Amino acid sequence: MSAEDVVFTPVRRLGELIRERRLSPVALAETFLDRLERLGPRYNAVVTVTRARALEQARRAEAEIAAGRYRGPLHGIPYGAKDLLATSGGIPTTWGAAPFKDRVFDFDATAILKLEAAGAVLCAKLAMVELAGGMGYRQPNAAFTGPGVNPWSRDAWSGGSSSGAGSAVAAGLVPFAIGSETWGSILSPAGNCGVAGLRPTYGRVSRHGAMALCWTLDKLGPLGLTADDCGLVLEAIAGRDPADPTTVDRPFHHEPAGPAGRRFRFGVLRAVTDGCEEAVRENFERSLGVLRQIGTVEEVALPDLPYDDITRTILFAEAASAFEDLIESGAMRGLTAPEDRYTAYARDAILAKDYLKALRLRGVMAREVDRVLAPLQALVAPGRATEAAPLDGEVRSAIRGTARDVMGAVGNGAGLPAVVVPNGFGPRGLPTSLQFMGRAWEEQTVLAAACAYQSLTDWHERHPDMS
Amino acid sequence: MSESEAVRAEVETMLGLVRERYGSRLSAEELDSVRTAIEGIVQAAHVLRAVRLANADEPGQPFAAYRADP
Repeated sequence: MSAEDVVFTPVRRLGELIRERRLSPVALAETFLDRLERLGPRYNAVVTVTRARALEQARRAEAEIAAGRYRGPLHGIPYGAKDLLATSGGIPTTWGAAPFKDRVFDFDATAILKLEAAGAVLCAKLAMVELAGGMGYRQPNAAFTGPGVNPWSRDAWSGGSSSGAGSAVAAGLVPFAIGSETWGSILSPAGNCGVAGLRPTYGRVSRHGAMALCWTLDKLGPLGLTADDCGLVLEAIAGRDPADPTTVDRPFHHEPAGPAGRRFRFGVLRAVTDGCEEAVRENFERSLGVLRQIGTVEEVALPDLPYDDITRTILFAEAASAFEDLIESGAMRGLTAPEDRYTAYARDAILAKDYLKALRLRGVMAREVDRVLAPLQALVAPGRATEAAPLDGEVRSAIRGTARDVMGAVGNGAGLPAVVVPNGFGPRGLPTSLQFMGRAWEEQTVLAAACAYQSLTDWHERHPDMS
Repeated sequence: MSESEAVRAEVETMLGLVRERYGSRLSAEELDSVRTAIEGIVQAAHVLRAVRLANADEPGQPFAAYRADP
């Protein structure tokens, strides 16, 4: 089988072909390396193509499989990593920011090591919004690699902040990617680019070797063509890591399908589509019709708490501390988006008492949302309120308070897992999306729901015109 | 003092702090943008302060004592 024929093939199927030795890991790596080099610049999706490391890993995979040492479903599968994950071997780790564009680490992030142990093949460090968007950017052009371009329309944004991860998967440049989310940075690019994205529970995946934006909010997770693929990848990167004391020792095993005929109980937050574009609302209503085939849908309500303010205050305070050197030294002047060069100065206005109040309220928020989620398998909502922003437009953001995102505020503030999958298109021909958010440590439940949804729809089988 | 007056006063105080620390680096236009950002921060703080909590309501992310493994 030609490697080029399998570009938009899910990881699970690629793994089967490799295991059966019908597909060569070296040929597969060559195919995706070529696409990354040839098409990556079109979408500003790539910072560094890691050709030498990829071919070394692919050759090793091929030899091991030929010798009967098959490691599992990621063995020989190419992938890309958001460029905030440390990589050794002289590969730069830039955090998307010009001041760090030549910076090299001498170690690999735990997620990179775990994927290597699973036999995956690192083909690229992928573009991202500078410093994962923590400095207050208002526009797509907020990375030294340029604005992330959406494969569905080169006039639209792919981000953010895991913009390269979203566009690279959507454009068939890698079968899967690792992104990070503090507030929206996995779900947004996945939704904007029409692919699946999984935000794991806080503490499920080690953050060791990942750029810290906010210690108590940052999560690493996969983007892939399907929710099922995201589950396969999560299984490889999840687990306790002594280097990240916030990780926990809770087993995670992904099953491709739940019990046949499984029924789900879904909740929809009251007024969750307020502020959504009409097409987003219509596609969400249509999605609820699909979900009613596999379960029940009921309206639920959260108590009246300032969810956005809680999560935003934590994010601003921690980001200001994480980047204290950059802010105090004035090195922010080297960032790409003009507003990223000074907006963070405002965060000196956050009092310690207010930050602690936000942390205390987070505890209340976590308990309240768990109470609402307890009888449900998932809360469902639009993944994004709008189609992707135009490249020359302003990005609406709940983080800056120019958009409303209760699901994001609650989900990230309480550290809950969520998966987003495509559920249609808007008037500009751009994907819209559906998210499933579950209780802490219930990744398998939200994945099962998303997989069941995808078994009844074909939005994930549509791909952008690459001509 | 009304709530909006209290917010406005706090914004000006905080803006003064930022101007004192970083004013030499900021143009008038940039300082205006910083003021807008501070307004958002102060408004959020007032919203948070208005929610009453009990003494036992601890931060959601407790500190853990550390001891290196032997």
